[in-house]
Amino acid sequence: MKILLFFISLISSSLLFSAGEYRCGSIECDAFQADVSDKASLQRGLSTYMNYCYGCHSLKYSRYKRVAEDLLIPLDIYENNLIFDGSKIGELMEISLTKKDAIDWLGAYPPDLTLEARLRRPDWIYTYLRNYYPDSTRPYGVNNKVYQNVNMPHVLEDLETNLSKSEYDQVIYDLTNFMTYVADPSAEQRKRIGTYVLLFLVIFTAFAYLTYREFKKDLK
Amino acid sequence: MSENTIGKKSIDWVDKRFPIVDLFERHLSKYYSPSNINIWYLFGFLLLIVLVMQILTGLWLMMNYTNTAEGAFSSIEYIMRDVDYGWLIRYMHAGGASAFFALIYLHMFRGMMYGSYQKPRELIWVGGWFVYVLLCAEGFTGYVLPWGQMSFWAAQVIISLVGSIPYFGEDLAIWIRGDYIVSGITLSRLFAFHVVLLPILIIAVVFFHILALHEIGSNNPDGIDVKKHTDQDGVPLDAKPFFPYDISHDFYALGVFLLIFCTVIFFFPEGGGYIIEYVNYEPANPLSTPAHIVPSWYYTPFYAMLRAIDFPLFGLTAKFLGFVVMAAGIAIFAALPWLDRSPVKSIKYKGIFSKIFLAGFVLSFFVLAYLGSVPPTETKNLLAKIFTLLYFAYFLLMPIYTRFEKCKTVPERVGEAV
Repeated sequence: MKILLFFISLISSSLLFSAGEYRCGSIECDAFQADVSDKASLQRGLSTYMNYCYGCHSLKYSRYKRVAEDLLIPLDIYENNLIFDGSKIGELMEISLTKKDAIDWLGAYPPDLTLEARLRRPDWIYTYLRNYYPDSTRPYGVNNKVYQNVNMPHVLEDLETNLSKSEYDQVIYDLTNFMTYVADPSAEQRKRIGTYVLLFLVIFTAFAYLTYREFKKDLK
Repeated sequence: MSENTIGKKSIDWVDKRFPIVDLFERHLSKYYSPSNINIWYLFGFLLLIVLVMQILTGLWLMMNYTNTAEGAFSSIEYIMRDVDYGWLIRYMHAGGASAFFALIYLHMFRGMMYGSYQKPRELIWVGGWFVYVLLCAEGFTGYVLPWGQMSFWAAQVIISLVGSIPYFGEDLAIWIRGDYIVSGITLSRLFAFHVVLLPILIIAVVFFHILALHEIGSNNPDGIDVKKHTDQDGVPLDAKPFFPYDISHDFYALGVFLLIFCTVIFFFPEGGGYIIEYVNYEPANPLSTPAHIVPSWYYTPFYAMLRAIDFPLFGLTAKFLGFVVMAAGIAIFAALPWLDRSPVKSIKYKGIFSKIFLAGFVLSFFVLAYLGSVPPTETKNLLAKIFTLLYFAYFLLMPIYTRFEKCKTVPERVGEAV
């Protein structure tokens, strides 16, 4: 018991340590609670992603068809509206931007973002996209509180200027929610199956215990 | 049972050709374990189950894994997304690795607590220690395979330790890597070790470990030799057959273990970054070093020892000395049977010094595990030095404190008052 308590205090102290230096750069991360069962939110997020991010940032580990099916979008609608380069619906979500062009035009190759929500965590993305600020010393005239001197221009600037704060926050929430989904598309299925597995195990353990108890009686 | 059932006939048929009944009796129904063994004696069975699970899930992962620097990372995502239930197999395998180490540490601690390594169980202990060493190698080689940033840099750090050996270290490191830096060549050889060489060795040594155990029988929390008192048929009085009495207990334990294990893999598969590290979701990039390179949690006590040695001595570099101390931290377990000079086995009957040093060992193991998982600071480094000393004190002072301390008398029979 003492060992357990000690271990718990160790883990909590290590968590405290990581909070010492902000995980979201110069500010604290805003709270973000993903809800990948909210299909409408995921669809809005997908639409923002495809229209604002996908020109530079591929989702090359994911397939169009999987996204369409998981987000309950009919395949023909998806194919006609959200595939821009004539790819087949079963293909991986790669982009046309080549590495060479990207380095010539932007100075860096924009990373693939399929796993970004697992790599940096969703709250980081949510905070990052809402914390651009004007900075005339930077090539695009903007900087970011979360990612100092980031190479990416403020792609969503027209949205942020034309929408109210809460509307813009909602756009970013949906986008982050979609990125959380695409980083781990099996999460919903996993939790559903997991519940049944645990129910089975409770029954298994109960019977295993009764068997054990029955045999134990022999030994008295 | 009647004499002529199909079942009986088939068993007879096999038995005349292969000693199936004899094996069943010798290892299960007439294999006796002490009547006083407690929950600390369940981990061996669970380890065996986890070993089987790792072999099966590993086999299925291998069907879709690509062992090249270009293909490894995306083949993992292919398994996670496009292979039916691939995510489940992968989470079982990754979570299984952590479970394996958690269980083996508990299993080893049981042996240390009850003196299970003492005469005549030295070879069981050394065999088990060898399984642990092989498991460390298996865990390390497996960790490299997803070819994420942490995979790459952990491999780079660990293999570069070999490079710190004086005179021929650098050549040896190049020979191991097959390249000047960790590369696809290193990846595919580590893959070969991970799926062929190490599993074969682990299975062989586990077999040896169990065979040796079944020759001598389990120790128990009192350290009483139950074979001393038998009935007229030679059956130990303070014991019970493994089948069905222990096996039913083991299955109950399996249920409890699986409840915990499945809660983790279905609901917290990354284990808060301890089972699958977040940084490893970025593909390996030799040109960009992560800010903070950490090994998996189960190696962190030894990683802390490595970093604690930050001073050169006798013309040897700090890195090499750290490497030696780290390796010694793992190797020294094998010497336990010969370090312990106590007349009694179990901590229950040992004197106060054994208790203090064992508690010190446990404390230092946890503190070092924590220190190895966080970025070093000056204070933390000092702490790492102190707790490394405490860790080794348990082993190196053992011949002294076990010989001179005052022990309690061990009862002759289980449950008997002295």
